[in-house]
Amino acid sequence: MITLTPKKEFRFPVIAECINPDIFHDKTTKEIEELKIWEGNKQKMLGELFKVEENRTENPQEREAITINGNLNKVRRIGAGMKSGEIIIHGDVGMHLGEEMKGGKITVHGNVGSWAGSMMKSGTIEIHGNVSDYLGAPYRGSIEGMRGGKIVVYGNVGNEAGAYMKNGLIKIYGNAGQFLGLRMRDGTIFVEKDSGGRAGACMKGGKIVVGGFLESVLPTFTIDSIKEKVKIEEGETIAGPFYLFIGDLVENGEGKLYLSKEKNPHLNHYERLL
Amino acid sequence: MTVVKAVTCPVCGSLCDDIELTVEDGRIVKVKNGCALCESKFLGYNSEHRLLKPLIRKKEELVKVSWKEAVGRAAEILAEANYPILYGWSSTSCEAISLGLELAEEVGGVIDNTSVVCHGPSILSIQEVGIPSCTLGQIRHRADLVVYWGSNPWSAHPRHIERYTAFSEGRFERSAWKGYLNKIKASIVRKKIESAIRRVFFKGKPSAPSNIRNEPPSTLQKEGRKLIIIDVRKTRSAEIADYFIQVEPNKDYELLQAFRALIRDQEIDVDTVAGVPVEYLEEVADLMIRCDFGVLFFGLGLTMSSGKLRNIDAALSLVRDLNMWTKFVIMPMRGHFNVTGANTVFTWQTGYPYAVDFSLGYPQYNPGETSVVDVLLRKESDAALIIASDPVANFPKAAAEHLVKNLLIVIDPHMNATAQLADVVLPSSFVGIEAGGTAYRMDHVPLPLKKVVDPPRGILSDEEILRRILAEVRKIKKRRAEES
Repeated sequence: MITLTPKKEFRFPVIAECINPDIFHDKTTKEIEELKIWEGNKQKMLGELFKVEENRTENPQEREAITINGNLNKVRRIGAGMKSGEIIIHGDVGMHLGEEMKGGKITVHGNVGSWAGSMMKSGTIEIHGNVSDYLGAPYRGSIEGMRGGKIVVYGNVGNEAGAYMKNGLIKIYGNAGQFLGLRMRDGTIFVEKDSGGRAGACMKGGKIVVGGFLESVLPTFTIDSIKEKVKIEEGETIAGPFYLFIGDLVENGEGKLYLSKEKNPHLNHYERLL
Repeated sequence: MTVVKAVTCPVCGSLCDDIELTVEDGRIVKVKNGCALCESKFLGYNSEHRLLKPLIRKKEELVKVSWKEAVGRAAEILAEANYPILYGWSSTSCEAISLGLELAEEVGGVIDNTSVVCHGPSILSIQEVGIPSCTLGQIRHRADLVVYWGSNPWSAHPRHIERYTAFSEGRFERSAWKGYLNKIKASIVRKKIESAIRRVFFKGKPSAPSNIRNEPPSTLQKEGRKLIIIDVRKTRSAEIADYFIQVEPNKDYELLQAFRALIRDQEIDVDTVAGVPVEYLEEVADLMIRCDFGVLFFGLGLTMSSGKLRNIDAALSLVRDLNMWTKFVIMPMRGHFNVTGANTVFTWQTGYPYAVDFSLGYPQYNPGETSVVDVLLRKESDAALIIASDPVANFPKAAAEHLVKNLLIVIDPHMNATAQLADVVLPSSFVGIEAGGTAYRMDHVPLPLKKVVDPPRGILSDEEILRRILAEVRKIKKRRAEES
């Protein structure tokens, strides 16, 4: 098991694509220390910015794991493109965590910057803190959103979580910002608490479940029915009742938006249309 | 006394190129054809705040120094920085911007233009959805339905309506100016009668303004040019419009999506959207479908209200949908005279229109990450070059606070708020008055900027200053490479 500790409080952005179990695999501590990393506009070695320690264990799963302790909120692209192994972070972490991840697991005990799990294909990200905007969303201009895997957030998330999502699951146990599941095509997003406005804007398919309050439903959604319960994933069902809206009409979409009936009394005027 | 004709006005994105200036003893004394903004720039640019000497901060105070010393210090700051920012660019010439990009690449910095605080969201959406657009000349001659959304051209782009849209005399569409004059006369008479009645019968107390959420007037069905304004408040532009839709603040997205649904013949479950009854929207949607050539101009009311880039996303999609029925185009109302040029030159040289980060040696683009305001809010930069802009006066307070902690270089003709807090101040000439160049109009048409008068003695153009800094930076880097 490799443990990394920042040697100082970073002031400039640090681009650390090399912190990835696939790259660390089969490397000695010295080789890891010599990996290239960027701080601001200067190229450095990983060993100049982080203290690298190796704890020998026989458990093969633990041997592949990377633990990072400390404030990493300027450190970007940790675990980008990782295929296997595990990263455990104790502290805040910067943007593009686990971007285009294809497997493995990242656990963060702290807050995470924007574009976490951006365009991920498989694997798991677990965040015990808050996340900024664009969780699981693609980079600017792209329409290739999350295609698989699972993201679980125990805190709040910012705007446009799950934008352009094509598959996979995002579970948020806190609140979500605006434009949740923007232009999503498939997959599931579950928010236990409240969501900002415009949830499901331009969605074509997939499922959004909001257990809390949603200020208003877009005028381009139409009410379908009231459901007693809704399935989140294999073996997990949430009890309702829920209003089920279908949309977004402007995209001829068939996305499903489930909103808690109990928490959204301001939507009861839709019931006359049922 | 000489008269210089066909001068391009370096104020707003309309870039009127029919200005006539009278020059006497090297001073502009008369402006013809210009609006109030144009006139005040051409007549009042040479104010008492004009900088005439390069300045460097020594012991907490700005002192006058030679050009060589000031340029040397600026180059040293940039060459030594770990994460410098280079910001401004929208009020200078394309030639200067091009040099700025070269400098940014040389020093490994983040270069950004003022789009980041105005039409940046528009650009993000254009990259996702695409933009059906055209030149202003086409609109002048053909547009029979003009919609301004979240924009007040009568005050911000004063000659836009007169030169390019509703009040311009096109080849195929007549000007709506006469109708407007009649309307104004009628409204003045009505106001006089109302106030007389008030004075005689009610003694004082002005009545509350009449409800402006009125239904579409029957005149909307008339032949000829029509002007619709959609905004959160009744602006000067709204007063001259054929129809004004007052949208609830921060509900533009809902209204745009409702229009999209109506145009697709979809039923809407609710009765009002953003405070406007759906039946009124149906009439306007019908008008949009039936026009021959429609145009939607949008301003910061859309880009900077809640929803930001997604508002523009919806507006672009609306126009795309309308093209299933008729010809419809859309155009952002750009503010600074060469902000379109800044986007164009940035794209041509780096591939990206704004917020370009050269710190890894190649251009990277991700607004939110590489945009200057966000870099400042995260307190990441350590040096800054500001040109033709005043971010200390305009940026969010927290961003401005970090900016002044950086080693700060300012290139500007005036002693503005940013220059007062700078470490190096380099005085420049006014582009479009004292220096020539190229600028892009809001519809991406390049126009020449003229040099009308000479700058004060010893004042250089933005282009020349940047060229000197760049040469000096290269010298420093070469020296350093030799040493190591």
